[in-house]
Amino acid sequence: MKISKLEQMENEGVDGVPLEERRKFLKFGLAVTGVFLGGSVLSLTSVRNASGGAGPVPEAGKFPYRPHYSMVIRQNRCIDCERCKEACVRTNHVPEYGFRTTILERRHVIGPDEEETIFMPVLCNHCNRPPCVRVCPTTATYKDKKNGIVMMDIKKCIGCKTCMAACPYNARYFNEEIRAVDKCNFCFDTRLSRGEKLTACAAACPAHVRVFGDLTDTSSELYQIIHAPERTVWVLRPETGALPNVYYVNA
Amino acid sequence: MKDKSRFAGLLAVAVSVILAAAVAHGGDEEDGGRIIFTKPVKAVVFDHKVHVAGAGLECDSCHDEIFEMETGQAESRDDFTMESLYQGKYCGACHDGDTAFASNTRCTLCHIGVKGYMREMGGGEAARSGH
Repeated sequence: MKISKLEQMENEGVDGVPLEERRKFLKFGLAVTGVFLGGSVLSLTSVRNASGGAGPVPEAGKFPYRPHYSMVIRQNRCIDCERCKEACVRTNHVPEYGFRTTILERRHVIGPDEEETIFMPVLCNHCNRPPCVRVCPTTATYKDKKNGIVMMDIKKCIGCKTCMAACPYNARYFNEEIRAVDKCNFCFDTRLSRGEKLTACAAACPAHVRVFGDLTDTSSELYQIIHAPERTVWVLRPETGALPNVYYVNA
Repeated sequence: MKDKSRFAGLLAVAVSVILAAAVAHGGDEEDGGRIIFTKPVKAVVFDHKVHVAGAGLECDSCHDEIFEMETGQAESRDDFTMESLYQGKYCGACHDGDTAFASNTRCTLCHIGVKGYMREMGGGEAARSGH
């Protein structure tokens, strides 16, 4: 039918539409708005598998990657000596205006005249649902299919910095020298792929704050720490739903 | 007239220099001030005031048996480590969980980190934070 003829047609109204047709139409609409998809498209409904009180650590055996690289930060052991930062800069040639990992500092009032200092190491969380990957227009940043590391393909990066805005953890910076966004990749190119077992930061830490490992290995220290009964484990900014792979505990 | 005012100016400068020196020296004599250790890690603060005025220790509580009077002596030794503290050396002589809080607790009370060190040295931490 030609569009010009469509205009000349008479409006049939909805009374004549069979019930089945209506139902199909509504179903289609609901599918598009995400009601049938557990809210994952437009988030009009809550996430179907959300479970309060269970904590951020996935149940044993429910890790999507193999090896599933992860890091646990034993936060209250951090003394901000910044040897991790120095090791990272040396290993990954990080310029002084950027960082792949850094230490945040927070003063916490614990009494009338008493404060404590909390040092919080931060780095890329290698999220299972990384917002940075989702927004990258050229797929320059991607989730490695095998080990889950959020990688950068700097040849594809156009420097639009959308990933920097999307990252909930401020874990990315624009590297002027390579004209691309740079970030932590768990030292994959500089250490892991060369047979090293630890990232540079984890190896340099004198207080064993950063425990790096493979979550699918149930005998690993990393696995043991975050699955210890009664231990409180937390992640940063869980409300973003990014499912981060950097866990925090107090030792 | 001109000579007189110049003399007065010089005198004022001289007096203020002597006063400043006396204050600084007196401060040193009173207690050892704040000691910042940078080895083996950056950085640890020891505040004499907290220990002398606060905890009521005498000079000879620590000097010269646990720590030499001269700054930097403990730091120059290889055994100036947490492990030694756990064995009762250096700060561990009191920080054993009995006399004072144990050395393996409350890390950041003494460990002020690189950020704390930069503040002590008068540099803004913003200069180092990287963004």
